[in-house]
Amino acid sequence: MDGPNVAWYIAIAAVLFGIGALGVLIRRNTLVVLLSLELMLNAGNLALIALSRHFHNGAGQIFALTVMAIAASEVCVGLGLVVALNRRNLSLDVDTLSELRG
Amino acid sequence: MTGGAWLCLLAPLVGTILILLGGSWLPRKFAAWTATASVFVAFGGAIWAFFGVRSAPPTPAGGLLPLQVPAPVPAHGELTTAWTWLQAGHFTVPLQLLVDPLSTMMMLIVSGVGGLIVLYSIGYMDKDDEERRYFAYIAFFVFSMLLLVEGGNLLMLLVGWGLVGLSSYLLIGFWHERSSAVAAAKKAFVMNAFGDATMALAFFILIAHTNSLSFNALSAPLSSTQANLIALGLLGGAVAKSAQIPLQTWLPDAMEGPTPVSALIHAATMVTAGVYLIARTHVIFQEARTIELIAAGLGALTLVVAGLIALVQTDIKRVIAYSTMSQIGYMFLGVGVGGYANGMFHLMTHAFFKALLFMTAGLAIHALANEQDIRKMRGLGKVMPFTKWCFLAGALALVGVPPFAGFFSKDPIIASTLNIGWYGYIFYACGIVGAFLTGLYTFRLWFLVFPGEPSPFVREHYHDHNGREGAWTMLVPVGILAVLATVGGWIQFPPLWEPITKWLAPVAPTLSVAEVSSTQEYVTSAVAVLVGLAGVALAWAIYSERKVAIPTAPFWRRLLEHKFYFDEAYNKIFYGPAVSLANGLRREFEDPIVLQTGPDLGETTLATGSLVRRIQTGLLRTYVLFLAMGAAGVVLAFLIAK
Repeated sequence: MDGPNVAWYIAIAAVLFGIGALGVLIRRNTLVVLLSLELMLNAGNLALIALSRHFHNGAGQIFALTVMAIAASEVCVGLGLVVALNRRNLSLDVDTLSELRG
Repeated sequence: MTGGAWLCLLAPLVGTILILLGGSWLPRKFAAWTATASVFVAFGGAIWAFFGVRSAPPTPAGGLLPLQVPAPVPAHGELTTAWTWLQAGHFTVPLQLLVDPLSTMMMLIVSGVGGLIVLYSIGYMDKDDEERRYFAYIAFFVFSMLLLVEGGNLLMLLVGWGLVGLSSYLLIGFWHERSSAVAAAKKAFVMNAFGDATMALAFFILIAHTNSLSFNALSAPLSSTQANLIALGLLGGAVAKSAQIPLQTWLPDAMEGPTPVSALIHAATMVTAGVYLIARTHVIFQEARTIELIAAGLGALTLVVAGLIALVQTDIKRVIAYSTMSQIGYMFLGVGVGGYANGMFHLMTHAFFKALLFMTAGLAIHALANEQDIRKMRGLGKVMPFTKWCFLAGALALVGVPPFAGFFSKDPIIASTLNIGWYGYIFYACGIVGAFLTGLYTFRLWFLVFPGEPSPFVREHYHDHNGREGAWTMLVPVGILAVLATVGGWIQFPPLWEPITKWLAPVAPTLSVAEVSSTQEYVTSAVAVLVGLAGVALAWAIYSERKVAIPTAPFWRRLLEHKFYFDEAYNKIFYGPAVSLANGLRREFEDPIVLQTGPDLGETTLATGSLVRRIQTGLLRTYVLFLAMGAAGVVLAFLIAK
């Protein structure tokens, strides 16, 4: 049961990462931006696990678990911000949230 | 005997610490008596050490033993080591005291005369606002001075040397609300620091060549250049501390301090430390005979110059201060030609009669509402007879009239210059001229202040202390010192009996060139006494009988009143250039560079900030774009590098 070559997995991970990055760059809705971030993180996870299997090395899987934990925390903060913005009736458009302009 | 030395050293320190810790909790009188008691305990320790040294079995003759590390015990004394203080490789400095004839003699003088003067201070400083601080300082001074004379190696000596300078600074500036006192304290400190520095340099040379700072290291084989340099450095320290030309200008200004301080520090003990230093390190001075003769020459020069300046001073304390410089000049002359015992003997008698003169002057100043101008004091003897007679005893001892103390100690110094060579005759002439000047300025002071009918000023301002001339704590020490100034010289009368020379012989034997025949002694004594009396007679004719007019030589008078323009010259040579250099640096460096850097730095930062802040758009997506581009850049860089 070898399954597809590791290159395929890496390719899928790259595509997923590209979609995520593009989402972060061009979408303006805060929720979608967060979603795209998750996509990028999981693309990373996929690549880690694929290579972990390829090299018979467990370290990659451990990394993936760590990334998940961090992703969960990040989502907590991100969604918390979205809820806070919503409560104040602020726009969820990232381009209008430019208070910190120098 | 070492127990006595430790007791002697530590008692004043304990007194200081008690007064300092007690602070304002202590009653004023208690602080005063603590200081006095601690110094008298030190005197007890000194006596203990003295009898210890006296009964110690004489170690084999030959003076100091050759250099060894650790240091051997010097002849006729004991080196007591508490612990190793400093250690660096093979170089060690132990914390040690040296108890030998020379140090016990100094211990007795410092703690004995010191005790009397501290007792006198109780009356003199009574009702001063900061009495306790005064007594803490003065006990600390006695501790420092004892450390100086008891120190068992050169570093301990230097520590004591520095600490007496510090306590002298603190006590000169004791009345710190007077700006003149603060200036005088600074002047004394700076000039002494110069001497400390030359001493330290000498010690560095010594360490470099012998790897040791014990007294025995001085007798190690050194090249003549090294010996000369070391001796010169030590002489620099001695000259600064003892106010000899060319570093003498601080001593007259130091009279800004309280009078007991002038008596203790600037007459009896600290300023004579230079004489002690030369006697203690005479081994190196014998190696560097030229330097030793320079010391004698400076002494001879100072004794004449200071005697001349004393002739025109009008402040009672300044006259005595110049007289102190002049007498220390005699001591330098004595130890410089090689008669160490002569110098030390004069140091001892001088401590008696000069402390006495200062303290009687203090009685007068105290009774006249702090007036120090002798032109206002005429006829003081009528109202202060005790002060008058005690002052007379001191004055006669200073002039060297037999049987007062100065006669026995000054004449051998003058005589000892006779056999050393042609320059000896110059020294001899200086000594004789000095004797004449001493008689003249001392009795000028006497005739101006004491005899005759009281002047209106004295009548108006004189106030007694409960019917006496001062508190008993002031009168008793003055009385004791008057007795000592009268009989203190009888200990030694060369060439008939010389116990002090014999006592010091194991440590600092008189050089053979400084030994003179009995005829030379007697003739010198006769000449010196006659010349001194001639000075007295001239003073009598000028200032009492007014038969001889004061010579009006405007040039000379101006020269003397400006103290030979030493202060002015130093201002021109050192102070002036230093100030112009500082002003120049401020103009050329500080104002344009140091002070301008701060604003410049701020403006540059602001300008850069306003430039850089443009990239801070506040748009999240711009940041992400930068991030992505950065990541892509890193990846590309790796790929290319591969």
